[in-house]
Amino acid sequence: MINGKHLKPRDMGKPADQLTKIDRLMPLPGPFDKLDTAPEFKEPKEEWREKYCTTLDGFIAIDTLKRPETKEEEEEFVRKFLQGLGKMLSEETNRGIIQPLKLSIEYCAKCNTCSEACHIFQSTEGHELYRPIYRSEVLRKIVKKYFTKSGRLLGGLVGADIDLNWETVARLGELSYRCNLCRRCAQTCPLGLDNGLLAREIRKIFSQELGIAPKALHEKGTELQLKTGSSTGLTKPAFLDIIEFLEEDLEEKTGKKIKIPIDKEGADILLIHNAGEYMSWPENPMAFAILFEEAGLDWTLSSDLLGYDNVNYGLFYDDGQAKKIALKQFEAARKLGVKRIVLGECGHAHKAAVVTADRMTYGANKVPVESFLPILRDIIKDNRLKLDPSKNNFPVTLHDPCNVVRQMGIVKPQRDILKAVAPQFWEMTPHGVYNYCCGGGSGFAIMNSFNFPEWRKNVSVRMKVKQILEVFQDTLEDASIPKYICAPCSNCKGSMRDILEHYQLTAKYNVQYAGIVELVVNALADLDRPFFEFLEE
Amino acid sequence: MLTTKDKEGNFKVAGIVGCVTWVSLILILIKNLLEVLSMSFEVNGKVIEVDEDGFITDPDLWDEAVAEYLAKTEEVEELTEDHWKVINYLRDYYKQYGIAPMVRKVTKETGFSLKEIYELFPSGPAKGACKIAGLPKPTGCV
Repeated sequence: MINGKHLKPRDMGKPADQLTKIDRLMPLPGPFDKLDTAPEFKEPKEEWREKYCTTLDGFIAIDTLKRPETKEEEEEFVRKFLQGLGKMLSEETNRGIIQPLKLSIEYCAKCNTCSEACHIFQSTEGHELYRPIYRSEVLRKIVKKYFTKSGRLLGGLVGADIDLNWETVARLGELSYRCNLCRRCAQTCPLGLDNGLLAREIRKIFSQELGIAPKALHEKGTELQLKTGSSTGLTKPAFLDIIEFLEEDLEEKTGKKIKIPIDKEGADILLIHNAGEYMSWPENPMAFAILFEEAGLDWTLSSDLLGYDNVNYGLFYDDGQAKKIALKQFEAARKLGVKRIVLGECGHAHKAAVVTADRMTYGANKVPVESFLPILRDIIKDNRLKLDPSKNNFPVTLHDPCNVVRQMGIVKPQRDILKAVAPQFWEMTPHGVYNYCCGGGSGFAIMNSFNFPEWRKNVSVRMKVKQILEVFQDTLEDASIPKYICAPCSNCKGSMRDILEHYQLTAKYNVQYAGIVELVVNALADLDRPFFEFLEE
Repeated sequence: MLTTKDKEGNFKVAGIVGCVTWVSLILILIKNLLEVLSMSFEVNGKVIEVDEDGFITDPDLWDEAVAEYLAKTEEVEELTEDHWKVINYLRDYYKQYGIAPMVRKVTKETGFSLKEIYELFPSGPAKGACKIAGLPKPTGCV
């Protein structure tokens, strides 16, 4: 096993039961400063080693990447990977990506500015495997060796010093799922190169060429969504049952009688939530209904296939799947004849529908897509809600979803909203476009096979845990004061739930979490009792 | 005693009783090992396959005996009437809608608070109760 400080990109092809392991973790501030930073991770089980790829760092992210049984299968795997790499590098087959891709492959000066920016590299105290350019370097070496004349002729002399075998490819696949695709590295790169994009390209080759992707994203993600309408498996009858339940519950909670509009033709706004909200955080769609009704907006939900779940996991690993889903979502909006789609609190759906899908269709097929944030900000600015911010008189911090801030530049509206409803609003450091990922980005929050959650709970969320502890340092240990993390994104919320449970922050320190609309509803002047259950006791 | 020492001080299996005990111990070990490897278990002659988190892959094979077996894997020693109230609600909902009900609905319809549900099913409504009720593992951003 190679030490985290001495690991080189060319080592990826070397035979070893396990290439390397995490030997150190970034220390956390109090009250966790006594935690051991030399982690004792459980060894992967023997049957996992036999069947899957545990030879990178001992963790398995891709639960469908199985070891081949014959030599032929092994060779076929490598051949197909190279074929996929060829498509990645061709303008014909990768048109939308080719320019930033080629720049990122060819121009890296290895200045390592990006390493400082990466929360995963920092969380492991600088483990080489997680250096943002480590993965890119491995990819570059393979490209050099098989797709350039100099590499073919001169090999190691020109940097093409890597053995390409099943293990190399499989490890590279696993390594593409050790990056949250937060693109903080791309933001800081003086040359504008994008390691996140390269990580995603590797995932794409695995899915599009080898048919391999984590079950949570593909089989139980995009495929389930295309079949049932939602990656949660939520069907139309179940959706309608839930909406009815929300109306009853909402009335009980707030005394407000609201008929939630469904399939209202010609409405101004089609609001689409991440369907996970209905299942796990129903107060969120309830709060949206209250605010949109109070503000008198002309809005509706859709019960059409793919009209009630805004997620698009294709964004994380597969262009084809991303496009299929995006187009079906547009179709649901077109059928209703709405003027625009408005996205609820889901970060990746924001980027998928507003930015990525923008180039997937045109003309009459296209429906304008917006974030809910500016709309909510305007509602508040225009005084269309009667607010009493003193109802939220506890420390509040904002976790910025990467897709909303860094990828889209929506930064100020959510802050204007918080300033209007939360008198004790504290920013994390850093925040806005310089935020850190929640650790669950790019699908990690829902990937729970084998020992992957152990990696996530200790490594990828670590920087966010540090930020949370720091921002609440003055009141943390006083459990009589609730502390609220506003995380306006379902995926980030999943990650927050994980963090608060794993580090026992709710149980011991009364740290709570939810989205931004709940906070606004809790500040409504006419509510007799708090909207938040944690304020009721 | 299963073993005795011979003159040289080496351990030796003591007679037929010891032999039978050892063989059965080894058989149990092999059975357990096979169960782990194939990720399935057997109840009343039915082989039930589970995924790596222990959720049964074919919900149609579920019955009360299967529930009792799964309960033991989720720190539930005995299924009481209260447990069954939750399990039956989950199953009925699943039969009707093809998906597990939202947690809020479970608490409201069964009358148990979330805290009480956690007392009944220590690993929680989704991981614990749904698994025992034979529902598939929740998917999506939940």
